[in-house]
Amino acid sequence: MVNENLVKDVVKEPYKYGFVTDIETEKIAKGLNEDVIRLISQKKEEPKYLLDFRLKAFKKWQKMKEPDWAGLGYKQIDYQDIIYYSAPKQKEKISSLDEVDPKLLETFDKLGIPLTEQKKLTNVAVDAVFDSVSIATTFREELAEHGVIFCSISEAVKNHSDLIEKYLGTVVPASDNYFAALNSAVFSDGSFVYIPKGVTCPMDLSSYFRINSGDSGQFERTLIIAEESSSVSYLEGCTAPMFDTNTLHAAVVELIALDNASIKYSTVQNWYAGDEEGIGGIFNFVTKRGKCLGKRSKISWSQVETGSAITWKYPSCLLLGEESVGEFYSVALTNNLQQADTGTKMIHVGPKTKSTIVSKGISAGNSKNSYRGLVKMGTKATGSRNYSQCDSMLIGDQASANTFPYIKSQQPNSEIEHEASTCRISEDQLFYLQSRGIEFEEAVSMMVSGFCRDVFNQLPMEFAAEADKLLALKLEGSVG
Amino acid sequence: MEINDKIRTSKSNDNQTEIQKICLHKLQASPLPNPKSELWRLSNKSKLSNFLDYSVNEKDSKFDIPYPKNSQGTIRLIIGTKFKIKLIEKNYSIQQLSEDELQKYIKEQISFFKQNENWSDLLNLSLSCKNNILGLKINGSNIPPIEIFSHASSNSLNAKTLVIFLEKNCEVELLQVNLGKENSSLSQSTFFCLKENSSVNHGVVSYGENRSNLLNSLNVIQQKNSTYNLGSLHFKFNYARFEISIKQSAGNAKTTIKGMQITKKDEQISTYTKIEFNGPNGFLDQINKSLADDKSHAIFEGSIIVPKIAQRTDASQLSRNLLLSNLAQIDTKPQLEIIADDVKCKHGATISQLNEEELFYMRTRGITLTEASKLQLSSYFQEIISFIPISKDRWDLLDQLLNEN
Repeated sequence: MVNENLVKDVVKEPYKYGFVTDIETEKIAKGLNEDVIRLISQKKEEPKYLLDFRLKAFKKWQKMKEPDWAGLGYKQIDYQDIIYYSAPKQKEKISSLDEVDPKLLETFDKLGIPLTEQKKLTNVAVDAVFDSVSIATTFREELAEHGVIFCSISEAVKNHSDLIEKYLGTVVPASDNYFAALNSAVFSDGSFVYIPKGVTCPMDLSSYFRINSGDSGQFERTLIIAEESSSVSYLEGCTAPMFDTNTLHAAVVELIALDNASIKYSTVQNWYAGDEEGIGGIFNFVTKRGKCLGKRSKISWSQVETGSAITWKYPSCLLLGEESVGEFYSVALTNNLQQADTGTKMIHVGPKTKSTIVSKGISAGNSKNSYRGLVKMGTKATGSRNYSQCDSMLIGDQASANTFPYIKSQQPNSEIEHEASTCRISEDQLFYLQSRGIEFEEAVSMMVSGFCRDVFNQLPMEFAAEADKLLALKLEGSVG
Repeated sequence: MEINDKIRTSKSNDNQTEIQKICLHKLQASPLPNPKSELWRLSNKSKLSNFLDYSVNEKDSKFDIPYPKNSQGTIRLIIGTKFKIKLIEKNYSIQQLSEDELQKYIKEQISFFKQNENWSDLLNLSLSCKNNILGLKINGSNIPPIEIFSHASSNSLNAKTLVIFLEKNCEVELLQVNLGKENSSLSQSTFFCLKENSSVNHGVVSYGENRSNLLNSLNVIQQKNSTYNLGSLHFKFNYARFEISIKQSAGNAKTTIKGMQITKKDEQISTYTKIEFNGPNGFLDQINKSLADDKSHAIFEGSIIVPKIAQRTDASQLSRNLLLSNLAQIDTKPQLEIIADDVKCKHGATISQLNEEELFYMRTRGITLTEASKLQLSSYFQEIISFIPISKDRWDLLDQLLNEN
């Protein structure tokens, strides 16, 4: 019998990113109405079409109802008790990283994010978003040489307005769902990436999201456009301090891949998950969707979800172009009272489209971890294929693991395969490893890592190592 | 038309039985199922409304059973006909449940019913009159196979209810046949209670005619060490729903389900299953097959619920689907809800058409395409049909299906 207490100890590792940075911020008053939206738009000096987009989304949001189909139990969110714009006070324009508040740089150093140029060796360009505003983007010039645009959405609105106007809201329309509508109305910043025709982005791009204040929501928006025959790998990381209150995070990510283009989007989400009693933590309601518009285009989502009190997230692919490919690789780990409802949607529209789904859920403590996915073959998706695999691992007899795959086919000349299984850490395997002199915790960690291997193999090298460590940390003391 | 009105037109308030009154009361707040709920979301609204269009018929017109006349060696019962059953033999006994036993059991079941989840049962019990409720208590072993028929006459809505108690250590083979005449609606609810160590091979064959509809609900409670095997086949209905709810009340029981639904033209046939393990060491092996052709729609939703108490549950569920036409569609949703950690649970789902490589292989051996397809379909059907009790010897279901397809 595996020692219950030992497992519990393994999961009790404190959240190491829970510090607050004492920095002067500019906040607007709590509450949400048309004036607040106008104010956000004005602060960001946005053109009229964007203000109209926001107002239209707000009107739609007012008519919508918060979704409850996922059966997530959380206390009602008071949308009027949230600050919708919070930004670190800084000089109007920053020409180099030296001008960024040193406290901010210190924060990102603590988080292990290479913002400074001296960390060039890592060869990753970073866009750091602090509360609602992007504070710095590195390696811009080098990227510009290749024609790659990597900046904050606010800057893109000013400098590349045509692209924003053309693509914003085309993948996730403002009225898509409750949280997407809210985001469309109040989004404050986020990242923008444009890869021109035929360019393979010379380095991985990365954005780092940090929520610092306890009473403001974070509503970032990411837009990535990969032109014909281009490719890019984008990484996203998230952390937040520990507060007793719940903070709302409602992001929207839109990806567009044209002919032969490929986008790889990797996330390591480690928002603060609340304490053992479930007090505090981030409510993470995210809409992520990619559109494979062009022939033979490819969008690949890989994610490691370990944080947040509530996760509600379904990165999806709309496979429109002939022979386009969608992929989804996910590891979701929940502990204590965390609840994760995550999965994907693969909508096959074009002919000969292919999709792969690999989802691994690990539930420990009193948590609830659900996979919810949709695979749909439209009438024109001849010769299309889907393969899905969803495995769950249960640690302890209080956690729950659910699988809800929806499969719909209207095309006889297509194939769908789905398989799911649930297991627990095998006592025999643990015994074997321990008899070889491997410590209990290390053995558990090795087995969890092995369970997630299919997904980790898809993550960029650095992220994979980080994700592996993160899982081990999160599970410390929980396995029994 | 509101359900309440429907009953009232056929019966005055005073003539309603107590069960009818309770069910009508439960349906009062919202007489129709919530079309947005997961269980009814995909259900064709106009077909459901067509189901309710026919007026309630409590008396059956004479009905010729289209199936084998030869009933030698089997016990054949037709729900709705007046008879007294009391068979007491050396090894077994089959007796009708007393009015009190029936009332008590049904009332107890209704107390757990939820308006949306058990809508079909509530509708059935509000429409079913005394004559159309058959209750049986079966005891012993070496019992001759039992066949029970329910049918709906043309241009009417018939409601039939069957309650079966299987006493301890009892073993039986039972085939239920639901027949829908042209332009008819049949509401069939079945309640099975399997006592300890009992075992049943249960077959359900539902076969309709032109524009016939069916709401078929099956509620099974399994006590410890009981074995429940179900083989089911639904075809030729304009609209049919088969709702299965199985509870292993104290675990340690074995359930095997092999079901199939075949849809053609613009038919819609759906199967919803909910298997709950309320104790440890439960076992489930389930396979559901669908075949959709023409403009039809086949639906499968299966949920397996394993609470904390159900340690060492071993459950597997497979949904296999054949989509044979560009205009047909298939929806399938196998689900697992698990809290117990020491369990083995898995599910799988596939949707495809006939295997091309297999077809090619057979054709290279000189078998024509039609013959080869038939062979493939035959093996696809055979797995389910061979699991339906009694049928395999005297009912030529396979031939019927192959000729149909």
